[in-house]
Amino acid sequence: MHPPSLTRRRLLAGGAAGLLVGQAGLRPARAQARTAVGLQLSWLHSVQFAGSYIARENGWWQEAGLDVTLLQGGPNAPVEPPVVSGTALVGISAADYTAAAVAQGARFRIIGVAMQKNPFVIASLPADPVRTPADLMGKRIGMALANRPVLQALCRLNDVDFDAIRIVPTQYSAQPLLAGEVDCLLCWETDLPVAMAINGIQAVTMLMADHGYALHSQTYIATEDSLATRRQELVALMSGEARGWEACRADTDAAAELTLRMFPDAGLDLATQKLQAERQLPLMFSDLTDQMGFGWWSDDGVAANIETLALLGHEVTPDLWDRSILEEIHAG
Amino acid sequence: MTRQAAFAPALAGSAFLLAGWSLLAAATADSQLIAGPVEVIAWIADNPGLIGRALAVTLRNAAAGFALGNLAAILLAAVALAWPRSLNLISGLALVVFCLPLIATGPVLRVLMGPGEGPQIALAALAVYYTTLIPLLTGLRAMPAAWLDLVHSYGRGRLAELVHVRARAALPYLFAGLQIAAPAAFLGAMVGEFTGAERGMGVLTIRFMRAMDATALWAIAALAAAVSMAAYAAIGALARHLSHDRPPVILAPPRPVAGSRAGKALDGAVLILAVLAGWWGAMELLGLDPFFAKRPWDVVAALAWAPDAAATRAALIRATGETALFLLPGYLAGLALGAGLATLLTLRPGLALPIMPVAVALRSIPIVTTAPLIVLFLGRGATGTITLVAVMVFFPTLVACLHGLRQAPGQILDLFRTYAAGSLRQMIHVRIPAMLPALFAAARMSVPAAILAVTVVEWLTTGRGLGSLMALSASTSNYNLLWSAVVVVTVISALCHAAVALLERRVLRVYAPEQLRR
Repeated sequence: MHPPSLTRRRLLAGGAAGLLVGQAGLRPARAQARTAVGLQLSWLHSVQFAGSYIARENGWWQEAGLDVTLLQGGPNAPVEPPVVSGTALVGISAADYTAAAVAQGARFRIIGVAMQKNPFVIASLPADPVRTPADLMGKRIGMALANRPVLQALCRLNDVDFDAIRIVPTQYSAQPLLAGEVDCLLCWETDLPVAMAINGIQAVTMLMADHGYALHSQTYIATEDSLATRRQELVALMSGEARGWEACRADTDAAAELTLRMFPDAGLDLATQKLQAERQLPLMFSDLTDQMGFGWWSDDGVAANIETLALLGHEVTPDLWDRSILEEIHAG
Repeated sequence: MTRQAAFAPALAGSAFLLAGWSLLAAATADSQLIAGPVEVIAWIADNPGLIGRALAVTLRNAAAGFALGNLAAILLAAVALAWPRSLNLISGLALVVFCLPLIATGPVLRVLMGPGEGPQIALAALAVYYTTLIPLLTGLRAMPAAWLDLVHSYGRGRLAELVHVRARAALPYLFAGLQIAAPAAFLGAMVGEFTGAERGMGVLTIRFMRAMDATALWAIAALAAAVSMAAYAAIGALARHLSHDRPPVILAPPRPVAGSRAGKALDGAVLILAVLAGWWGAMELLGLDPFFAKRPWDVVAALAWAPDAAATRAALIRATGETALFLLPGYLAGLALGAGLATLLTLRPGLALPIMPVAVALRSIPIVTTAPLIVLFLGRGATGTITLVAVMVFFPTLVACLHGLRQAPGQILDLFRTYAAGSLRQMIHVRIPAMLPALFAAARMSVPAAILAVTVVEWLTTGRGLGSLMALSASTSNYNLLWSAVVVVTVISALCHAAVALLERRVLRVYAPEQLRR
């Protein structure tokens, strides 16, 4: 694929188009109806979705004719039902959740991957650290039992005896680790370790993605139906996301400040949000995305995901990923 | 009683609660689990805007849910009384709807009602209507037959009976229901925010939980408890203001348990058909996508002949077994604690000062805040789980029984006093028999409450049983398994409810026969 080159012809054409748009902007007929679409987030508002906030704040979606509602997630707000029902055009999910939903009959496709590296870590305290998967043996790990397959997959990938680890079902909080109830936690790089750091405790984190756990996270999903009938809106939505995240990468502190400004009632803390953004962005961009653009994936990446998904008990084919929307965005 | 005299005990009670809270915080300082009152007040003073706006949102939703839920309960009770044949159907359907776990209803409500306040209000209403309906149905029968005969002798029908006699007799029971509903509505609105609400106390709870901000978390808990206590006290004051009549002596002849076996089987069949038709009809009518809103047929298929039906059944049976292990002890402990405390508080009214605020606080602080504490003290084993279930169950029983104990007929108590019978003797021979209808109402409404409590505790602490299975199946989009679990939870509730009702009929046939007439 050729990167778009800037020729004189193209520049002239662009200038002419710009003039036309500029003129159109002066006319009263500009008040065209925008299409209302929903973007279902996977969790509460935070800098985790800063790219979307930047896109909305700068009116990039409005320019493209979209009126985007950002639907907040929560502990009891699964992403899949609103996307299936059409309440949301796009949802933010993860490859394993999407694979499970597809196995249950939902017709989803992954149309973009925000987190190139899975954010799952094993967090421990420096006094008794877990730096490699082998260190897990004999340890008590605090986690939701729902994540048992995740730990099992990590063990299989690294030849660690799963039965040598004691799982303690805990709420999603760092408190059991600090209370000495467990030796380590299964959590995200961007939440509990950040909370601990803000409270003055530097946790040791082992990123599971660095030990073979290849699983796309914060993936954008849409239904096959939408892909067939609402392409333009999908392209406009994802294009705004890509622009938003590039802007977020350029200045994570500004992104954190915008997040607090947009959601004053969310109980967010600026220092926490800045640190979270700082830790999240490296998971989202790689050599691959620098070359091909935000959200991209390679065929090798998909193959690795399929292997990890198989370990988690999900059988999927490469058809689960649909790159056509990204191709349209990054081609131009 | 003068105004000052009324305020003094309230102040003493608050002081006791604050002292206990401070001690607990100091004792667990290492664990960073509890923040003391001083820190909490400082935090609230530092963040008045944030917490004020969140409190306003949640309070508004809770109030709307409280009003709607209780109105629904009153209407349902009125219909059941005006048209007695519908009683079994109404109380059966009410039980089934109350049994629906949040994890299944949350996404459905959110898809139906969109991103606004709808689901929070609906869940607050769902949290209260059943605990009002059951005492109300009991209260609507708690009167001497002579009063009804008087209405009939004027040639008036059931409606006049309802308006002039039953409604008044039911007032104390209604107020018990409303008092139980006050903290439940607030908690329901908070938990409703877990389904993707933009703002409110529930949203902040999740946020501060993850941020390990114990001070902020306890500020929310303190405000939630304070609001519930205020509402509880206000309803109590209203109840005292409105009902000054001494409870009447209710004499009714013992009667055999009504209804033939065939009639009961017919009632059951009608109820099951109504539930299935309502389930299917509602989902079709609302156009809910079958991906997450499973129809009765889908559940039958998933359990009977789907390729993984055997695995589904095995998972359900195992989870049900694990749940049952904690359910019965927790339920019985909660009932015993509630009834025991009510007896104690009636014998020694002075103890209400320290105990009632704690009881209301326990009911109104979200379990996500208190669960780590109980785990810290009692561990993740059976004791901790059973304690948590008992904590969630005992409050309705306590309130219902307190009101029930007050239903002891004044003349009979006078008679006892004439013979210088002590308060213990009065308790055993007069008050406890008078409390029995209320106790059984509490026992019946605690059945689904206990089951919901067990599933929440399992989800939060033990990671076993039906609660954990439902959370897991929702997160993997296995909605067939989720709805199958919902059916299991409902069937268990219905069966336990039937067992309690059977026992209730045997006991009340002797002690309160008026409860058995139609």
